[in-house]
Amino acid sequence: MMSVFTPPLIAFIIGLVASCYLLVKGRGASGEHGTLGVLNASMGFSAVGIVGSGWTWAVHNSMIMGSSSMCATEGLVQCGSVIGDPQWNNLFGIPWGLIGIASFALIWFIVLSIRMDLHAKWTSGYVDMLFYVSLAGVPFVLWLVLVELTMVDGAPHICPYCTVIHIALVGMVACSYSLRQKRDAGTWS
Amino acid sequence: MMARRRAKATPKGKDEDVRTVAMLVTAGIISLVVAISVILAPIPQVGPDEGNQAPDFVADAYDGFGWNEFRLSDNYDWDWNGSTESKWFLVYFMDTDCPYCWVDGDEMSQLHSQWSDRVNFITVAAELSIPNHDSTRGEIEAFRDKTSYFGCNSDRDDCVDRPGTPNDWPYVDDQSMTIMDMWGLSATPVSFILEPDGTVAWNKNKHQSQGGDGEELSEALQRLVGGQ
Repeated sequence: MMSVFTPPLIAFIIGLVASCYLLVKGRGASGEHGTLGVLNASMGFSAVGIVGSGWTWAVHNSMIMGSSSMCATEGLVQCGSVIGDPQWNNLFGIPWGLIGIASFALIWFIVLSIRMDLHAKWTSGYVDMLFYVSLAGVPFVLWLVLVELTMVDGAPHICPYCTVIHIALVGMVACSYSLRQKRDAGTWS
Repeated sequence: MMARRRAKATPKGKDEDVRTVAMLVTAGIISLVVAISVILAPIPQVGPDEGNQAPDFVADAYDGFGWNEFRLSDNYDWDWNGSTESKWFLVYFMDTDCPYCWVDGDEMSQLHSQWSDRVNFITVAAELSIPNHDSTRGEIEAFRDKTSYFGCNSDRDDCVDRPGTPNDWPYVDDQSMTIMDMWGLSATPVSFILEPDGTVAWNKNKHQSQGGDGEELSEALQRLVGGQ
């Protein structure tokens, strides 16, 4: 039986912990230094989201062909019954991993744009857009958690890579909320 | 005075629009992630065409005793290397109210008696959106078991009169037409022969539609499974 804690999962968890640290540190600091800190945390969360989604997409593709070498397929914490479930592993035929890559790519683009020019005319609008785009992902996360806990074959199961991506999205909501606060409080720079 | 005003002015953004660069960087990163994902696990060709991996499904199936969850891929031999020990699959899409499926009853029973030691038979019972094609689980059970239930064959016959013998293979409930949609089907009966690892080896629509070679299911079984 395959161990749950594989090197990719450990790398994702380190990425999440580092992003959380940057967020806490950035929120505490004022001025441009604090804003950049929160933006760095955002880049960390979105990077984990993009790479994690790519990994789940690869797991999805390998499981269609019967391979289970990329993730555990037995026990409570596993991918087999979640990413491998043909009924729930896609949205209108599109694998969730691909949807995650596209969504986090949009988030990454917005964060990077703001990070590259904190004082552009469009920055304020992009901060709002980042918040709403991140928030729009929350219902999907709740739905997918519901699916893995109650609907998949042999439920409940917890897909570790999916959970990493869900946490990354929640982290993005926190970051974007913090950025809005900094902008509205006049502590942006 | 002017100098003080300049110092208090809001910081200005950069002269160039950085969003183009951000877009290019994002595109580059995404391309890299997608490329690595595809290298790690190539995108499988999934679909009903021959040579593709058959679309997997999970649904309730009736096995003669009750309805239990059935997943097609649970029955595959993923390590199949062409040996004759592994069983092939005959996936047969039908509707208990479809007159052609009613007539097919005889042939399916004959094929099963001939090939059941080499081929797993699976029937997917759909419910086409046609008048008098209202199916129920009771009707599916009766069609499979050949027991009394009036309503088969477009509500014209009692299921006990179905041609052929009672079937002892699973009947998957697809009244929602989910599996039919996944397989790109809109009519019944349609049959597919799958290799033991789930690769589509024969698609009736390809052979028996216009321009096809006209190969029948029995001939295909003989060529693919019998020829091994």
